Amino acid sequence: MNFTFSEEQDELRRTIRRFLDDKSPSTEVRRLMETPDGYDEAVWKQMAQELGLQALHIPEDYGGQGFSFVELGIVLEEMGRVLLCAPFLSTVGVAANAILNAGTEEQKKALLPGIASGETIATLALGEPGKGWTADDMTLESKDGVLNGTKTYVIDGTTANLIVVAAREAGTTGTDGISLYTVRGDAEGLNRKSLEAIDLTRKLAQLDFSGVKGDLLDEKGTAWPALQRTLDHAAVALAAEMCGGAQRALDMAVQYAKDRVQFGRPIGSFQAIKHKCADMLLEVESAKTAMYYALWVAAADDPELPIVAPMAKAYAADAFFKAARDNIQVHGGIGFTWEHDAHLYYRRAKSDELMFGDAPYHRELLAQRLGI
Amino acid sequence: MNVLVLVKQIPDPNNPYQLANNRLKRDGGQNVLDPGDEFGVEAALQLTEANGGEVTVVSMGPESAMEAIRRALSMGAHKGVLISDDSLQGADALVTARVLAAAIKKTGFDLVIAGVESTDGSTGTVPGAIAELLGVPLASFAKHLEIKDTTLHIQRQTEKGYDDVESPLPAVLTVTAGVNEPRYPTFKGIMQAKSKPVEQLKVGDLGLSADEAKATQTVNEVTPAPARGAGEKFEDDGTGAAKVADFLKEAKVI
Repeated sequence: MNFTFSEEQDELRRTIRRFLDDKSPSTEVRRLMETPDGYDEAVWKQMAQELGLQALHIPEDYGGQGFSFVELGIVLEEMGRVLLCAPFLSTVGVAANAILNAGTEEQKKALLPGIASGETIATLALGEPGKGWTADDMTLESKDGVLNGTKTYVIDGTTANLIVVAAREAGTTGTDGISLYTVRGDAEGLNRKSLEAIDLTRKLAQLDFSGVKGDLLDEKGTAWPALQRTLDHAAVALAAEMCGGAQRALDMAVQYAKDRVQFGRPIGSFQAIKHKCADMLLEVESAKTAMYYALWVAAADDPELPIVAPMAKAYAADAFFKAARDNIQVHGGIGFTWEHDAHLYYRRAKSDELMFGDAPYHRELLAQRLGI
Repeated sequence: MNVLVLVKQIPDPNNPYQLANNRLKRDGGQNVLDPGDEFGVEAALQLTEANGGEVTVVSMGPESAMEAIRRALSMGAHKGVLISDDSLQGADALVTARVLAAAIKKTGFDLVIAGVESTDGSTGTVPGAIAELLGVPLASFAKHLEIKDTTLHIQRQTEKGYDDVESPLPAVLTVTAGVNEPRYPTFKGIMQAKSKPVEQLKVGDLGLSADEAKATQTVNEVTPAPARGAGEKFEDDGTGAAKVADFLKEAKVI
């Protein structure tokens, strides 16, 4: 395992940063967050066809480029930094991994090339109204491959044309009887409703399944281990994105602390401000360290993944929320205005905090997995 | 078709520049491939994608200029040539042109593409001098280009519009920032750039004498551009528009 980024990985980061600074400035984020689809198709296509981002960590056998989770993490971190409005986390960070983890060789060959080429927008339909993230919380029922039930907080649920659905086979309980199905976005019996989300830059949806025919991934009722692994991957991917956002919030706060002069000197020279910035730095750096380790573990397919994934998610969620909140504090009055971007990061941080389970849930998960 | 692209590594133009001995300080800070050169690389890639052939990037500069070459290689160029020699420190535009022309001749070419001018030095004289030294035509300020048979057709940007210009090959071509949208390298491209061949040359390899490689110009003094003065205020008493028009006329804007 290598604990530093290679020259090429640094160059990848610079390239992505330049691309995103060009294509996703704050004005674009604000334009797109007001649109129903919430992303720019031309930018999505350019990401796929020119930069090959959707294909980055998908193996070459399935139409991808065969690089690792580390490269994917670098890309996600940069996307989080600018709050890119695009179905990337849902498609590549979550759904592609679900198919990689749960699909048969044939299914991977059929489904992943579309994701790699940018044609398919995919997502995972997992959470249910009022439910959590454990096996017992999966109640959407499958009977002979016909799905009935409701999934909510589905990321990019209305734009996805391929939906991976976690379902429970009729008459089963616990971790037995969980299956993953794929459903086309325009499937008969599927009703998609977009939700008003606190994070305007990421679209969420509620999906009602009434008699929807699903295509089973692998074998019936055996998907729980693959789903758990997918959630660990999702936690790491989201942690990478969150760390990018947290770093940006910190950078904004530090810049403002240097620029803003009050009582004849920059406000960063006041203890109340500089200590806040120092505390943010500590949290952001720690979160990044945990997240980078998690990326390497995921890339190396190391058995430690179930331990480091919840740790990275819990730490990054706390750090991002703290950085986003304190950034507003450092900015004072202007930080509360709609025109300032601080609230966009605050909203993203709040939403990410709860996505795939909040920090206490992930710490509990960690404790259980460690056998404490 | 052999397309050569001239590229230069420059200090990141987003950072304030620093001087040392009246010359731009090139070490210590973040250096990048001159953004103006990316248009040339893109133009070359498009030409060879359409007509076949190879793109070679050529640069003169310190050893670190290899990074600029690698950047162009990561976009898809096939190979590189780097002329790096301590004796070239402080080379002026003429020496640069002589060195590059010699390297271009040595490499062989159908078309040489450069930016209109470097972002840091901005002399804009190197491509013209190279064309002269090579004895081939210069097609400059291209905002659109294509090759039909063996003739280069360009739209040459002018103050009022553009001229249609044709040139036989081989030729030297300079492209403006409007000519294309440079591609972003893929990670695969970045990985492959490392293993692409880059020929490293010294002045001696080019058959140039020490005299030819010696700068003929020195910079005696550097003065920062004067700060912009305060604007002129008109009270609008009904003649405001006319006064603005007069002002614009004086500035030769209208």
